[in-house]
Amino acid sequence: MKQSNLIRFLILIALFLIGCFLSLMYGGSETISWHSLNSGNFIFREIRFPKTITAIVAGSTLSVAGLILQIIFRNPLAGPYVLGISSGASLMVALGILAGNSVFLVSDLFIGKTFLVLSAITGSLLVTFLILLVSKKVNSNIVLLLIGLMFSQICGAIQTSLEYFSDPTSLKSFVVWGMGSLANTTGSDLLIYVPVALGSMLALVFFMKPLNALLLGQAYAQGVGINFNTNRFYLILISSVLTGVTTAFCGPIAFVGIAVPILSRMIFSTSHQQVHFFSSMILGAIILLFSDTLCHSVVVGVSLPINMITTFIGAPLVIYLMFKNKHW
Amino acid sequence: MSRKEYIRIVNARMGYKKPGHTVDILHRVNLSFYAGDLVGIVGLNGVGKSTLLRSICGLLPLLEGEVVIEGREIRELSIEDLARKIAVVLTEKIGGFNLTLFDVVAAGQIPYTDSFHRLTNENRSIINSAIDRCGIKSFTEKPVTELSDGLFQKTMIAKALAQQTPILLFDEPSAFLDYASKHDLFSLLQELTHKEGKCVVVSSHELEILLKYCTKLLVISPNGVELISREEARQNAAFIQLTGGFL
Repeated sequence: MKQSNLIRFLILIALFLIGCFLSLMYGGSETISWHSLNSGNFIFREIRFPKTITAIVAGSTLSVAGLILQIIFRNPLAGPYVLGISSGASLMVALGILAGNSVFLVSDLFIGKTFLVLSAITGSLLVTFLILLVSKKVNSNIVLLLIGLMFSQICGAIQTSLEYFSDPTSLKSFVVWGMGSLANTTGSDLLIYVPVALGSMLALVFFMKPLNALLLGQAYAQGVGINFNTNRFYLILISSVLTGVTTAFCGPIAFVGIAVPILSRMIFSTSHQQVHFFSSMILGAIILLFSDTLCHSVVVGVSLPINMITTFIGAPLVIYLMFKNKHW
Repeated sequence: MSRKEYIRIVNARMGYKKPGHTVDILHRVNLSFYAGDLVGIVGLNGVGKSTLLRSICGLLPLLEGEVVIEGREIRELSIEDLARKIAVVLTEKIGGFNLTLFDVVAAGQIPYTDSFHRLTNENRSIINSAIDRCGIKSFTEKPVTELSDGLFQKTMIAKALAQQTPILLFDEPSAFLDYASKHDLFSLLQELTHKEGKCVVVSSHELEILLKYCTKLLVISPNGVELISREEARQNAAFIQLTGGFL
Protein backbone atom coordinates (compact mmCIF):
# COMPACT_ATOMS: atom_id res chain seq x y z
CA MET A 1 0.00 0.00 0.00
CA LYS A 2 1.18 3.52 -0.74
CA GLN A 3 2.37 5.44 2.27
CA SER A 4 -0.11 8.27 1.80
CA ASN A 5 -2.93 5.72 1.82
CA LEU A 6 -1.57 4.18 4.99
CA ILE A 7 -1.68 7.57 6.69
CA ARG A 8 -5.25 8.08 5.50
CA PHE A 9 -6.21 4.71 6.96
CA LEU A 10 -4.59 5.59 10.27
CA ILE A 11 -6.56 8.83 10.39
CA LEU A 12 -9.75 6.90 9.68
CA ILE A 13 -8.98 4.46 12.47
CA ALA A 14 -8.32 7.35 14.85
CA LEU A 15 -11.65 8.95 13.87
CA PHE A 16 -13.32 5.59 14.36
CA LEU A 17 -11.98 5.32 17.92
CA ILE A 18 -13.03 8.90 18.71
CA GLY A 19 -16.48 8.09 17.30
CA CYS A 20 -16.74 5.01 19.50
CA PHE A 21 -15.79 7.05 22.55
CA LEU A 22 -18.26 9.86 21.79
CA SER A 23 -21.11 7.49 21.06
CA LEU A 24 -20.45 5.49 24.24
CA MET A 25 -20.10 8.48 26.52
CA TYR A 26 -22.36 11.13 25.01
CA GLY A 27 -24.73 9.16 22.78
CA GLY A 28 -27.74 9.49 25.03
CA SER A 29 -29.61 11.74 27.42
CA GLU A 30 -27.11 11.05 30.14
CA THR A 31 -23.36 11.61 29.99
CA ILE A 32 -21.54 8.71 31.48
CA SER A 33 -18.69 9.51 33.83
CA TRP A 34 -15.52 7.50 34.10
CA HIS A 35 -16.24 6.94 37.75
CA SER A 36 -19.56 5.21 37.18
CA LEU A 37 -18.01 2.96 34.51
CA ASN A 38 -15.85 1.22 37.07
CA SER A 39 -18.79 0.39 39.27
CA GLY A 40 -20.63 -1.31 36.38
CA ASN A 41 -22.98 1.26 34.90
CA PHE A 42 -26.32 -0.26 33.84
CA ILE A 43 -27.00 2.28 31.09
CA PHE A 44 -23.56 1.70 29.67
CA ARG A 45 -23.83 -2.06 29.63
CA GLU A 46 -27.41 -2.53 28.52
CA ILE A 47 -28.06 0.50 26.32
CA ARG A 48 -24.98 2.44 25.25
CA PHE A 49 -22.74 -0.50 24.44
CA PRO A 50 -25.28 -2.36 22.20
CA LYS A 51 -26.13 0.93 20.48
CA THR A 52 -22.49 1.69 19.67
CA ILE A 53 -21.93 -1.82 18.30
CA THR A 54 -25.11 -1.42 16.26
CA ALA A 55 -23.88 1.89 14.84
CA ILE A 56 -20.60 0.25 13.78
CA VAL A 57 -22.23 -2.79 12.21
CA ALA A 58 -25.05 -0.84 10.53
CA GLY A 59 -22.68 1.74 9.09
CA SER A 60 -20.26 -0.79 7.70
CA THR A 61 -22.89 -3.21 6.31
CA LEU A 62 -24.85 -0.51 4.48
CA SER A 63 -21.68 1.05 3.08
CA VAL A 64 -20.32 -2.23 1.79
CA ALA A 65 -23.75 -3.08 0.34
CA GLY A 66 -23.66 0.29 -1.43
CA LEU A 67 -20.15 -0.38 -2.71
CA ILE A 68 -21.25 -3.71 -4.20
CA LEU A 69 -24.35 -2.19 -5.80
CA GLN A 70 -22.39 0.67 -7.34
CA ILE A 71 -20.02 -1.81 -8.95
CA ILE A 72 -22.69 -4.25 -10.10
CA PHE A 73 -24.68 -1.48 -11.76
CA ARG A 74 -21.49 0.40 -12.68
CA ASN A 75 -23.35 3.41 -11.36
CA PRO A 76 -21.69 5.60 -8.74
CA LEU A 77 -25.10 6.82 -7.62
CA ALA A 78 -26.45 3.40 -6.66
CA GLY A 79 -27.16 2.43 -3.07
CA PRO A 80 -29.54 0.30 -1.05
CA TYR A 81 -31.70 3.24 -0.02
CA VAL A 82 -31.96 5.15 -3.30
CA LEU A 83 -32.62 2.00 -5.33
CA GLY A 84 -35.53 1.09 -3.06
CA ILE A 85 -33.84 -2.02 -1.71
CA SER A 86 -34.18 -0.83 1.88
CA SER A 87 -37.85 -0.15 1.16
CA GLY A 88 -38.26 -3.69 -0.12
CA ALA A 89 -36.82 -4.95 3.14
CA SER A 90 -39.09 -2.61 5.11
CA LEU A 91 -42.14 -3.78 3.25
CA MET A 92 -41.44 -7.39 4.09
CA VAL A 93 -40.89 -6.45 7.72
CA ALA A 94 -44.15 -4.49 7.64
CA LEU A 95 -45.93 -7.56 6.32
CA GLY A 96 -44.43 -9.49 9.22
CA ILE A 97 -45.33 -6.97 11.90
CA LEU A 98 -48.59 -5.54 10.66
CA ALA A 99 -50.24 -8.30 8.69
CA GLY A 100 -49.21 -10.79 11.32
CA ASN A 101 -48.89 -9.39 14.78
CA SER A 102 -46.32 -7.37 16.60
CA VAL A 103 -44.71 -10.34 18.28
CA PHE A 104 -41.53 -10.06 16.20
CA LEU A 105 -40.53 -6.63 17.30
CA VAL A 106 -41.54 -6.52 20.91
CA SER A 107 -40.44 -9.96 21.93
CA ASP A 108 -36.90 -11.13 22.27
CA LEU A 109 -37.79 -14.49 20.81
CA PHE A 110 -34.93 -15.84 18.77
CA ILE A 111 -37.31 -17.35 16.21
CA GLY A 112 -39.20 -14.10 15.91
CA LYS A 113 -36.02 -12.12 15.23
CA THR A 114 -34.72 -14.70 12.80
CA PHE A 115 -38.00 -14.53 10.93
CA LEU A 116 -37.75 -10.75 10.87
CA VAL A 117 -34.22 -10.90 9.49
CA LEU A 118 -35.12 -13.48 6.87
CA SER A 119 -38.12 -11.50 5.66
CA ALA A 120 -36.03 -8.32 5.39
CA ILE A 121 -33.36 -10.17 3.40
CA THR A 122 -36.04 -11.62 1.11
CA GLY A 123 -37.45 -8.15 0.56
CA SER A 124 -34.11 -6.67 -0.39
CA LEU A 125 -33.29 -9.62 -2.67
CA LEU A 126 -36.61 -9.27 -4.49
CA VAL A 127 -36.14 -5.57 -5.18
CA THR A 128 -32.50 -6.01 -6.23
CA PHE A 129 -33.43 -8.65 -8.80
CA LEU A 130 -36.31 -6.52 -10.06
CA ILE A 131 -33.95 -3.59 -10.54
CA LEU A 132 -31.43 -5.84 -12.23
CA LEU A 133 -34.14 -6.97 -14.64
CA VAL A 134 -35.10 -3.39 -15.40
CA SER A 135 -31.49 -2.20 -15.63
CA LYS A 136 -30.98 -4.41 -18.69
CA LYS A 137 -33.56 -2.31 -20.54
CA VAL A 138 -32.19 1.10 -19.61
CA ASN A 139 -28.71 2.40 -20.17
CA SER A 140 -28.89 5.62 -18.22
CA ASN A 141 -27.67 5.88 -14.65
CA ILE A 142 -30.22 8.54 -13.87
CA VAL A 143 -33.17 6.57 -15.25
CA LEU A 144 -32.13 3.61 -13.11
CA LEU A 145 -32.13 5.88 -10.10
CA LEU A 146 -35.62 7.14 -10.92
CA ILE A 147 -36.84 3.57 -11.29
CA GLY A 148 -35.38 2.76 -7.87
CA LEU A 149 -37.26 5.77 -6.52
CA MET A 150 -40.48 4.44 -8.04
CA PHE A 151 -39.87 1.03 -6.47
CA SER A 152 -39.47 2.59 -3.07
CA GLN A 153 -42.66 4.63 -3.66
CA ILE A 154 -44.56 1.47 -4.54
CA CYS A 155 -43.24 -0.36 -1.50
CA GLY A 156 -44.12 2.71 0.59
CA ALA A 157 -47.67 2.79 -0.78
CA ILE A 158 -48.26 -0.87 0.02
CA GLN A 159 -46.82 -0.24 3.46
CA THR A 160 -49.13 2.72 4.07
CA SER A 161 -52.18 0.70 3.13
CA LEU A 162 -51.06 -2.04 5.50
CA GLU A 163 -50.61 0.53 8.25
CA TYR A 164 -54.07 1.92 7.57
CA PHE A 165 -55.71 -1.40 8.36
CA SER A 166 -53.57 -2.37 11.33
CA ASP A 167 -54.20 -2.10 15.05
CA PRO A 168 -52.72 0.80 17.02
CA THR A 169 -50.04 -1.12 18.92
CA SER A 170 -48.41 -2.75 15.94
CA LEU A 171 -48.82 0.48 13.98
CA LYS A 172 -46.82 2.42 16.54
CA SER A 173 -44.07 -0.16 16.79
CA PHE A 174 -43.76 -0.16 13.04
CA VAL A 175 -43.80 3.61 12.56
CA VAL A 176 -41.07 4.02 15.18
CA TRP A 177 -39.05 1.28 13.51
CA GLY A 178 -39.56 2.90 10.12
CA MET A 179 -37.89 6.11 11.29
CA GLY A 180 -34.68 4.21 11.64
CA SER A 181 -33.03 3.80 14.99
CA LEU A 182 -29.88 2.33 16.38
CA ALA A 183 -31.30 2.10 19.88
CA ASN A 184 -33.75 -0.77 19.45
CA THR A 185 -31.13 -3.45 19.16
CA THR A 186 -30.68 -5.34 22.41
CA GLY A 187 -27.67 -7.30 23.52
CA SER A 188 -29.32 -10.56 22.51
CA ASP A 189 -30.20 -9.14 19.05
CA LEU A 190 -26.52 -8.57 18.53
CA LEU A 191 -26.02 -12.32 18.82
CA ILE A 192 -27.85 -12.66 15.50
CA TYR A 193 -26.90 -9.33 13.95
CA VAL A 194 -23.13 -9.39 14.38
CA PRO A 195 -22.50 -12.97 13.16
CA VAL A 196 -24.69 -12.52 10.06
CA ALA A 197 -22.98 -9.21 9.21
CA LEU A 198 -19.48 -10.54 9.86
CA GLY A 199 -20.18 -13.72 7.92
CA SER A 200 -21.32 -11.83 4.81
CA MET A 201 -18.32 -9.50 5.00
CA LEU A 202 -15.98 -12.48 5.22
CA ALA A 203 -17.73 -14.09 2.26
CA LEU A 204 -17.10 -10.91 0.29
CA VAL A 205 -13.36 -11.27 0.78
CA PHE A 206 -13.49 -14.15 -1.71
CA PHE A 207 -14.99 -11.86 -4.34
CA MET A 208 -12.32 -9.16 -4.45
CA LYS A 209 -11.00 -10.14 -7.85
CA PRO A 210 -14.46 -10.39 -9.45
CA LEU A 211 -15.35 -7.01 -7.91
CA ASN A 212 -12.31 -5.48 -9.59
CA ALA A 213 -13.12 -7.18 -12.89
CA LEU A 214 -16.80 -6.22 -12.84
CA LEU A 215 -15.71 -2.59 -13.13
CA LEU A 216 -14.85 -3.41 -16.75
CA GLY A 217 -18.42 -4.40 -17.58
CA GLN A 218 -19.83 -7.73 -18.64
CA ALA A 219 -17.97 -8.35 -21.90
CA TYR A 220 -14.50 -7.39 -20.69
CA ALA A 221 -14.95 -9.16 -17.34
CA GLN A 222 -15.78 -12.37 -19.21
CA GLY A 223 -12.89 -11.70 -21.57
CA VAL A 224 -10.41 -11.81 -18.69
CA GLY A 225 -11.91 -15.01 -17.33
CA ILE A 226 -14.41 -13.82 -14.73
CA ASN A 227 -17.82 -15.45 -14.92
CA PHE A 228 -20.02 -12.38 -14.87
CA ASN A 229 -23.43 -13.85 -14.11
CA THR A 230 -22.31 -16.23 -11.36
CA ASN A 231 -20.27 -13.60 -9.56
CA ARG A 232 -22.96 -10.99 -9.92
CA PHE A 233 -25.49 -13.40 -8.41
CA TYR A 234 -23.38 -14.04 -5.32
CA LEU A 235 -22.55 -10.37 -4.93
CA ILE A 236 -26.23 -9.44 -5.06
CA LEU A 237 -26.93 -12.11 -2.48
CA ILE A 238 -24.27 -10.70 -0.16
CA SER A 239 -25.40 -7.10 -0.57
CA SER A 240 -29.02 -8.12 0.03
CA VAL A 241 -28.11 -9.95 3.22
CA LEU A 242 -26.11 -6.93 4.39
CA THR A 243 -28.94 -4.50 3.64
CA GLY A 244 -31.65 -6.85 4.89
CA VAL A 245 -30.10 -7.67 8.24
CA THR A 246 -29.41 -4.04 9.04
CA THR A 247 -32.86 -2.92 7.95
CA ALA A 248 -34.41 -5.64 10.10
CA PHE A 249 -32.74 -4.33 13.25
CA CYS A 250 -32.41 -0.61 12.61
CA GLY A 251 -35.12 0.20 10.09
CA PRO A 252 -34.32 1.84 6.77
CA ILE A 253 -31.30 4.12 7.24
CA ALA A 254 -30.95 6.74 4.55
CA PHE A 255 -28.01 7.70 2.34
CA VAL A 256 -25.16 5.96 4.18
CA GLY A 257 -24.96 3.24 1.53
CA ILE A 258 -24.70 5.65 -1.39
CA ALA A 259 -22.55 8.35 0.22
CA VAL A 260 -19.82 6.31 1.88
CA PRO A 261 -18.41 4.51 -1.20
CA ILE A 262 -18.36 7.85 -3.01
CA LEU A 263 -16.49 9.44 -0.11
CA SER A 264 -14.14 6.48 -0.08
CA ARG A 265 -13.29 7.00 -3.74
CA MET A 266 -12.69 10.68 -3.05
CA ILE A 267 -10.32 9.90 -0.18
CA PHE A 268 -8.49 6.97 -1.79
CA SER A 269 -7.85 7.64 -5.46
CA THR A 270 -7.46 4.02 -6.39
CA SER A 271 -9.62 1.54 -8.26
CA HIS A 272 -8.59 -1.38 -6.05
CA GLN A 273 -11.80 -2.54 -4.48
CA GLN A 274 -10.11 -4.19 -1.50
CA VAL A 275 -9.05 -0.70 -0.38
CA HIS A 276 -12.58 0.63 -0.80
CA PHE A 277 -13.99 -2.41 0.96
CA PHE A 278 -12.03 -1.69 4.12
CA SER A 279 -12.34 2.07 3.95
CA SER A 280 -16.11 1.87 3.33
CA MET A 281 -16.44 -0.33 6.40
CA ILE A 282 -14.57 2.13 8.61
CA LEU A 283 -16.08 5.26 7.05
CA GLY A 284 -19.59 3.88 7.36
CA ALA A 285 -19.02 3.11 11.02
CA ILE A 286 -17.52 6.57 11.61
CA ILE A 287 -20.47 8.34 10.00
CA LEU A 288 -23.06 6.45 12.00
CA LEU A 289 -21.11 6.80 15.25
CA PHE A 290 -20.89 10.58 14.81
CA SER A 291 -24.49 10.79 13.58
CA ASP A 292 -25.58 8.90 16.67
CA THR A 293 -23.72 11.32 18.91
CA LEU A 294 -25.19 14.28 17.02
CA CYS A 295 -28.71 12.86 17.37
CA HIS A 296 -28.46 13.26 21.10
CA SER A 297 -26.57 16.51 21.32
CA VAL A 298 -28.22 18.87 18.80
CA VAL A 299 -31.27 19.44 20.99
CA VAL A 300 -30.64 18.91 24.68
CA GLY A 301 -32.74 16.16 26.18
CA VAL A 302 -34.21 15.05 22.85
CA SER A 303 -32.94 12.24 20.66
CA LEU A 304 -33.61 12.91 16.99
CA PRO A 305 -34.18 10.07 14.50
CA ILE A 306 -30.89 8.90 12.98
CA ASN A 307 -32.30 9.28 9.44
CA MET A 308 -32.57 13.01 9.93
CA ILE A 309 -28.82 13.34 10.43
CA THR A 310 -27.77 10.88 7.72
CA THR A 311 -30.06 12.57 5.21
CA PHE A 312 -28.62 15.97 6.06
CA ILE A 313 -25.14 14.60 5.36
CA GLY A 314 -25.95 12.28 2.45
CA ALA A 315 -28.49 14.11 0.30
CA PRO A 316 -26.43 17.30 -0.25
CA LEU A 317 -23.41 15.14 -1.05
CA VAL A 318 -25.34 13.28 -3.75
CA ILE A 319 -26.66 16.53 -5.22
CA TYR A 320 -23.15 18.00 -5.20
CA LEU A 321 -21.81 14.94 -6.99
CA MET A 322 -24.52 14.99 -9.62
CA PHE A 323 -23.50 18.52 -10.51
CA LYS A 324 -19.82 17.79 -10.37
CA ASN A 325 -20.31 14.70 -12.58
CA LYS A 326 -16.75 13.45 -12.72
CA HIS A 327 -15.19 10.03 -12.24
CA TRP A 328 -16.13 9.43 -8.63
CA MET B 1 4.04 -24.80 -44.93
CA SER B 2 2.20 -26.23 -41.97
CA ARG B 3 1.32 -23.73 -39.32
CA LYS B 4 -0.58 -24.39 -36.15
CA GLU B 5 -4.35 -24.06 -36.48
CA TYR B 6 -5.58 -21.69 -33.76
CA ILE B 7 -9.22 -21.19 -34.62
CA ARG B 8 -11.53 -23.52 -36.54
CA ILE B 9 -15.17 -22.72 -37.11
CA VAL B 10 -17.31 -25.63 -38.30
CA ASN B 11 -20.79 -25.29 -39.79
CA ALA B 12 -21.60 -22.42 -37.50
CA ARG B 13 -24.81 -20.49 -37.38
CA MET B 14 -24.35 -17.23 -35.50
CA GLY B 15 -26.83 -14.74 -34.16
CA TYR B 16 -28.83 -13.73 -31.12
CA LYS B 17 -31.45 -15.53 -29.11
CA LYS B 18 -34.46 -13.39 -28.32
CA PRO B 19 -37.43 -14.59 -26.28
CA GLY B 20 -39.48 -16.75 -28.65
CA HIS B 21 -37.24 -16.52 -31.69
CA THR B 22 -33.65 -16.27 -32.86
CA VAL B 23 -32.09 -13.58 -35.00
CA ASP B 24 -29.83 -15.31 -37.52
CA ILE B 25 -26.95 -13.23 -38.76
CA LEU B 26 -24.41 -15.61 -40.28
CA HIS B 27 -25.04 -19.09 -41.72
CA ARG B 28 -22.88 -22.11 -42.52
CA VAL B 29 -19.63 -20.45 -41.51
CA ASN B 30 -16.59 -22.68 -42.07
CA LEU B 31 -13.24 -21.02 -41.42
CA SER B 32 -9.75 -21.74 -40.13
CA PHE B 33 -7.24 -19.25 -38.82
CA TYR B 34 -3.60 -20.13 -38.23
CA ALA B 35 -0.62 -18.90 -36.27
CA GLY B 36 0.85 -15.92 -38.09
CA ASP B 37 -2.43 -14.93 -39.70
CA LEU B 38 -3.38 -11.28 -39.72
CA VAL B 39 -6.97 -11.38 -40.88
CA GLY B 40 -8.97 -8.27 -41.71
CA ILE B 41 -12.74 -8.57 -41.52
CA VAL B 42 -14.53 -6.29 -43.95
CA GLY B 43 -18.20 -5.75 -44.63
CA LEU B 44 -20.93 -3.16 -44.53
CA ASN B 45 -22.39 -1.92 -41.25
CA GLY B 46 -24.65 -4.47 -39.62
CA VAL B 47 -23.52 -7.36 -41.80
CA GLY B 48 -22.20 -9.35 -38.84
CA LYS B 49 -18.55 -8.41 -38.20
CA SER B 50 -19.02 -7.95 -34.46
CA THR B 51 -21.28 -11.01 -34.27
CA LEU B 52 -18.50 -13.13 -35.76
CA LEU B 53 -15.89 -11.76 -33.36
CA ARG B 54 -18.16 -12.17 -30.33
CA SER B 55 -18.97 -15.72 -31.38
CA ILE B 56 -15.31 -16.67 -31.74
CA CYS B 57 -14.43 -15.50 -28.24
CA GLY B 58 -17.43 -17.14 -26.61
CA LEU B 59 -19.27 -13.95 -25.61
CA LEU B 60 -22.09 -14.95 -27.95
CA PRO B 61 -23.04 -18.65 -27.86
CA LEU B 62 -23.35 -20.27 -31.28
CA LEU B 63 -26.83 -21.19 -32.47
CA GLU B 64 -25.38 -24.22 -34.27
CA GLY B 65 -22.02 -25.72 -35.11
CA GLU B 66 -18.79 -25.37 -33.21
CA VAL B 67 -15.78 -23.15 -32.61
CA VAL B 68 -12.54 -25.01 -31.92
CA ILE B 69 -9.72 -23.10 -30.21
CA GLU B 70 -6.31 -24.77 -30.42
CA GLY B 71 -7.92 -28.18 -30.88
CA ARG B 72 -10.54 -27.89 -28.16
CA GLU B 73 -14.21 -27.05 -28.55
CA ILE B 74 -14.93 -23.69 -26.96
CA ARG B 75 -17.63 -25.06 -24.64
CA GLU B 76 -15.13 -27.54 -23.17
CA LEU B 77 -12.82 -24.70 -22.15
CA SER B 78 -13.30 -22.99 -18.82
CA ILE B 79 -13.74 -19.24 -18.89
CA GLU B 80 -10.30 -18.85 -17.28
CA ASP B 81 -8.63 -21.05 -19.92
CA LEU B 82 -10.33 -19.10 -22.65
CA ALA B 83 -9.02 -15.84 -21.16
CA ARG B 84 -5.48 -17.19 -21.52
CA LYS B 85 -6.06 -18.04 -25.20
CA ILE B 86 -8.11 -15.15 -26.56
CA ALA B 87 -7.93 -11.44 -25.81
CA VAL B 88 -10.61 -9.22 -27.22
CA VAL B 89 -11.06 -5.50 -27.77
CA LEU B 90 -14.63 -4.37 -28.33
CA THR B 91 -16.17 -1.02 -29.12
CA GLU B 92 -17.60 -0.66 -25.61
CA LYS B 93 -16.55 2.27 -23.40
CA ILE B 94 -15.54 1.76 -19.80
CA GLY B 95 -14.38 4.10 -17.06
CA GLY B 96 -15.14 5.83 -13.79
CA PHE B 97 -14.51 4.43 -10.32
CA ASN B 98 -10.99 5.92 -10.27
CA LEU B 99 -9.87 3.54 -13.03
CA THR B 100 -6.59 4.75 -14.48
CA LEU B 101 -5.00 3.74 -17.76
CA PHE B 102 -2.65 1.49 -15.80
CA ASP B 103 -5.54 -0.21 -13.97
CA VAL B 104 -7.29 -1.04 -17.24
CA VAL B 105 -4.15 -2.46 -18.84
CA ALA B 106 -3.47 -4.34 -15.58
CA ALA B 107 -6.86 -6.00 -15.99
CA GLY B 108 -5.27 -7.90 -18.86
CA GLN B 109 -3.22 -9.76 -16.25
CA ILE B 110 -6.30 -10.84 -14.25
CA PRO B 111 -6.05 -14.43 -15.56
CA TYR B 112 -2.57 -14.66 -14.02
CA THR B 113 -2.87 -12.86 -10.66
CA ASP B 114 -3.85 -14.16 -7.22
CA SER B 115 -7.37 -13.94 -5.82
CA PHE B 116 -6.86 -10.33 -4.70
CA HIS B 117 -5.44 -9.29 -8.08
CA ARG B 118 -2.19 -8.26 -6.40
CA LEU B 119 0.51 -7.52 -8.95
CA THR B 120 3.93 -9.11 -8.69
CA ASN B 121 6.99 -7.50 -10.27
CA GLU B 122 6.61 -9.87 -13.21
CA ASN B 123 2.98 -8.82 -13.70
CA ARG B 124 4.06 -5.18 -13.58
CA SER B 125 6.79 -5.55 -16.17
CA ILE B 126 4.38 -7.29 -18.57
CA ILE B 127 1.81 -4.50 -18.07
CA ASN B 128 4.43 -1.77 -18.52
CA SER B 129 5.83 -3.29 -21.68
CA ALA B 130 2.31 -3.54 -23.14
CA ILE B 131 1.81 0.15 -22.31
CA ASP B 132 5.19 0.93 -23.92
CA ARG B 133 4.40 -0.92 -27.12
CA CYS B 134 1.21 1.08 -27.57
CA GLY B 135 3.06 4.36 -27.03
CA ILE B 136 0.90 5.59 -24.15
CA LYS B 137 3.48 5.58 -21.37
CA SER B 138 3.12 9.25 -20.50
CA PHE B 139 -0.58 8.80 -19.67
CA THR B 140 -0.14 5.81 -17.35
CA GLU B 141 -1.67 7.40 -14.24
CA LYS B 142 -4.44 9.27 -16.04
CA PRO B 143 -8.08 8.34 -15.29
CA VAL B 144 -9.51 6.60 -18.36
CA THR B 145 -12.51 8.94 -18.41
CA GLU B 146 -10.10 11.80 -19.15
CA LEU B 147 -8.47 10.05 -22.11
CA SER B 148 -9.35 10.98 -25.67
CA ASP B 149 -11.14 8.34 -27.75
CA GLY B 150 -7.94 7.47 -29.54
CA LEU B 151 -5.92 7.10 -26.35
CA PHE B 152 -8.71 5.02 -24.85
CA GLN B 153 -8.56 2.70 -27.83
CA LYS B 154 -4.81 2.33 -27.45
CA THR B 155 -5.38 1.56 -23.76
CA MET B 156 -7.71 -1.28 -24.63
CA ILE B 157 -5.22 -2.59 -27.17
CA ALA B 158 -2.54 -2.54 -24.48
CA LYS B 159 -4.92 -4.44 -22.19
CA ALA B 160 -5.29 -7.12 -24.86
CA LEU B 161 -1.49 -7.33 -25.25
CA ALA B 162 -1.09 -7.63 -21.48
CA GLN B 163 -3.34 -10.66 -21.59
CA GLN B 164 -0.50 -12.55 -23.36
CA THR B 165 -2.77 -14.68 -25.51
CA PRO B 166 -1.91 -16.44 -28.78
CA ILE B 167 -5.15 -15.11 -30.30
CA LEU B 168 -6.21 -11.47 -30.41
CA LEU B 169 -9.55 -10.18 -31.66
CA PHE B 170 -10.16 -6.50 -32.38
CA ASP B 171 -13.48 -4.89 -33.24
CA GLU B 172 -12.77 -1.70 -35.19
CA PRO B 173 -9.66 -0.76 -33.20
CA SER B 174 -8.64 2.01 -35.57
CA ALA B 175 -11.93 3.88 -35.57
CA PHE B 176 -10.77 6.86 -33.47
CA LEU B 177 -7.06 6.79 -34.24
CA ASP B 178 -5.24 9.50 -36.15
CA TYR B 179 -3.56 8.64 -39.45
CA ALA B 180 -0.14 7.89 -38.01
CA SER B 181 -1.56 5.89 -35.12
CA LYS B 182 -3.56 3.73 -37.49
CA HIS B 183 -0.36 2.74 -39.23
CA ASP B 184 1.42 2.31 -35.91
CA LEU B 185 -1.34 -0.01 -34.76
CA PHE B 186 -1.26 -2.18 -37.85
CA SER B 187 2.56 -2.30 -37.83
CA LEU B 188 2.26 -3.54 -34.27
CA LEU B 189 -0.29 -6.15 -35.28
CA GLN B 190 1.99 -7.21 -38.12
CA GLU B 191 4.85 -7.60 -35.66
CA LEU B 192 2.66 -9.73 -33.39
CA THR B 193 1.69 -12.08 -36.18
CA HIS B 194 4.90 -12.23 -38.23
CA LYS B 195 7.48 -12.19 -35.45
CA GLU B 196 5.62 -13.70 -32.51
CA GLY B 197 3.38 -16.07 -34.45
CA LYS B 198 0.14 -14.84 -32.91
CA CYS B 199 -3.17 -14.99 -34.71
CA VAL B 200 -4.89 -11.62 -35.04
CA VAL B 201 -8.37 -11.05 -36.39
CA VAL B 202 -9.38 -7.44 -36.82
CA SER B 203 -12.51 -5.81 -38.19
CA SER B 204 -12.17 -2.44 -39.82
CA HIS B 205 -13.55 -0.13 -42.48
CA GLU B 206 -10.06 1.06 -43.50
CA LEU B 207 -9.79 -1.04 -46.67
CA GLU B 208 -6.53 0.52 -47.85
CA ILE B 209 -4.80 -0.18 -44.56
CA LEU B 210 -6.13 -3.72 -44.44
CA LEU B 211 -4.88 -4.33 -47.98
CA LYS B 212 -1.46 -3.05 -46.98
CA TYR B 213 -0.97 -5.04 -43.78
CA CYS B 214 -3.28 -8.07 -43.60
CA THR B 215 -2.29 -11.50 -44.89
CA LYS B 216 -5.90 -12.46 -45.46
CA LEU B 217 -9.23 -10.73 -45.80
CA LEU B 218 -12.54 -12.07 -44.59
CA VAL B 219 -15.25 -10.53 -46.71
CA ILE B 220 -18.72 -10.67 -45.17
CA SER B 221 -21.59 -9.90 -47.51
CA PRO B 222 -25.26 -10.83 -47.49
CA ASN B 223 -24.26 -13.81 -49.68
CA GLY B 224 -22.03 -15.22 -46.98
CA VAL B 225 -18.50 -15.28 -45.69
CA GLU B 226 -15.44 -15.53 -47.93
CA LEU B 227 -11.83 -15.83 -46.81
CA ILE B 228 -9.45 -14.57 -49.49
CA SER B 229 -5.78 -13.70 -49.69
CA ARG B 230 -4.68 -10.10 -50.09
CA GLU B 231 -3.75 -10.73 -53.72
CA GLU B 232 -7.21 -12.06 -54.58
CA ALA B 233 -8.96 -9.01 -53.16
CA ARG B 234 -8.95 -6.93 -56.31
CA GLN B 235 -10.60 -9.70 -58.28
CA ASN B 236 -13.18 -10.53 -55.62
CA ALA B 237 -16.67 -9.33 -56.53
CA ALA B 238 -17.85 -8.85 -52.94
CA PHE B 239 -14.72 -6.89 -52.03
CA ILE B 240 -14.95 -4.69 -55.11
CA GLN B 241 -18.54 -3.93 -54.23
CA LEU B 242 -17.40 -2.83 -50.74
CA THR B 243 -14.92 -0.38 -52.18
CA GLY B 244 -17.68 1.24 -54.18
CA GLY B 245 -15.21 1.43 -57.04
CA PHE B 246 -13.13 4.05 -55.26
CA LEU B 247 -10.12 1.89 -54.49
